[in-house]
Amino acid sequence: MRWLFLASACVCILAVAVICAFLFVNGMPFFTKYSVIEFLTGTTWAPLRNVFGILPMIVGSFYVTMGALLIGAPIGILTAILMARFANSTVVKVMKPAVALLAGIPSIVYGFFGLMLLVPLIRVNFGGTGKSVLVASILLSIMILPTIIQTSEAALGAVPNSYYEGSLALGATHESSVFRTILPAARPGIVSGVVLALGRAIGETTAIIMVAGNNARMPVDLLKGVRTLTVNVLMEMGYAADLHAQSLIATGVVLFVIIMAINFLFSFLNRRRVMQ
Amino acid sequence: MKLRSMLALLLVFTMAFGLSALAAEFDQSQTIAVVSREEGSGTRGAFIELTGIATKDAAGAEIDNTYAEADFVNGTSLVMTTVSFNEYAVGYASLSSVEGNGTIKALKVNGVAATTENILNGTYAIARPFNIVTVDAMQDPSALDFLAFIMSKEGQAVVADNKLVTVTTDAAPGYVASNLSGSVTVGGSTSVAPVMEKLKEAYEALNPGVKVDIQSTGSTAGVINALNGTYQIGMASRSLKDSELASGAKGIVLAMDGICVIVHPANPLEDITLEQVRQVFIGEITTWADLNI
Repeated sequence: MRWLFLASACVCILAVAVICAFLFVNGMPFFTKYSVIEFLTGTTWAPLRNVFGILPMIVGSFYVTMGALLIGAPIGILTAILMARFANSTVVKVMKPAVALLAGIPSIVYGFFGLMLLVPLIRVNFGGTGKSVLVASILLSIMILPTIIQTSEAALGAVPNSYYEGSLALGATHESSVFRTILPAARPGIVSGVVLALGRAIGETTAIIMVAGNNARMPVDLLKGVRTLTVNVLMEMGYAADLHAQSLIATGVVLFVIIMAINFLFSFLNRRRVMQ
Repeated sequence: MKLRSMLALLLVFTMAFGLSALAAEFDQSQTIAVVSREEGSGTRGAFIELTGIATKDAAGAEIDNTYAEADFVNGTSLVMTTVSFNEYAVGYASLSSVEGNGTIKALKVNGVAATTENILNGTYAIARPFNIVTVDAMQDPSALDFLAFIMSKEGQAVVADNKLVTVTTDAAPGYVASNLSGSVTVGGSTSVAPVMEKLKEAYEALNPGVKVDIQSTGSTAGVINALNGTYQIGMASRSLKDSELASGAKGIVLAMDGICVIVHPANPLEDITLEQVRQVFIGEITTWADLNI
């Protein structure tokens, strides 16, 4: 039986290794023909003229992801605290399937929802075309909520109840006990949930392509359009040829490196906490 | 009770937000929301050439001056959906897709309405060819038979039914069903895809053994994939570029199609000059009030 488990694990690692290898083998030739610095810091993206600068897209992805986390992480974590420690069982019985349903909705449906509801709402109330960093951030925050809520709730549930009871015994209030003893104890789990959500937010394409305006220039305003790295690849992969196609694979490499960097950073931060 | 009053308050807020979107008056001071297509789109390629949005630099290379703040969507139907949801939007799409669609309105260009008659007699300014793209190396019998059907009298009748201007003369040969079997992959322009679907239906009715698969990926993708053999037949909603012809692409003109400048039905504008179209789509004219002067 042990060999079966080993084989399954090997398939998993093999998949990651193959994707990694494909990306780097096909993306590296591009960097021999085009300077890495110019690629990463160039502000003009004009592939049909052989000008490949993806800084606008990197900044666009960064803004949209940070916006989504700023909105979604507090709401998600507080919802998880509610479901784990404050709500009565009937509320939890309604919320759990609702959150699970939210997790199951396909991205394209989120995209339609954003296009038909959020975009006109922002357009009427804030002006502009409606397709903006703001709408993309709001939509993404809704999409990452289930991830954050489910992992945070699991993390909070895993904290031994003795922490809470000890705090109460020392005279603290219910709220104080939850926020001062349980929440810090659950921090590694919550942080890993946020990292997972960040990974999903950075990689989201089908929903963003419908609501973000897709302008290939540096983001100028919260209410103006933006193009992310993933949308750039999706929009152009269909017709890209030679160097252009290689530049899009190189964009994939950049995305991969960003995700790996974020994962390493957070695992490093987590390790310090555990050691303390 | 507290929960109920909170829910009521939430409902009132939502209603206020929603009702504000139902504003009846068309506000001329609003910015024009320009909608454009992705770079590989044949419709965009043809549109920027025909309206003067594309200029040539000193070396003779084409520069696309499309407004940087435009909303870029990737597909004919997405353009129409975006415009139908925004009273202050303007976009462009193929006449064959726009005709009969009640959610958007096509403007007259230089006083000429976008109709097949006006494309045939040359008075409508923004007209471009639908091209079927093949390579000499493609000798698949089912694909060649499908091509024969498209260029036959029966095929051209289907094209004419779809509000497109046919280019073949009455000397188009009649088609005889060949009863082959196989599969054909046709791919490319999202503008050409609707009429290709109708041709596929008519063809498969005569030849049940052949299965035609149509993919909408954009004109440039259609040409590239026809050249590399992924598609047996490519579709492009623009003329072929010199570089594409040099690589061996052969284009057969299927029909002439118009590109309509579309706006929301609530927009009072009916007519626009070609020069104004250029100015709107490069971002020189930014509000609806500026257009009506």
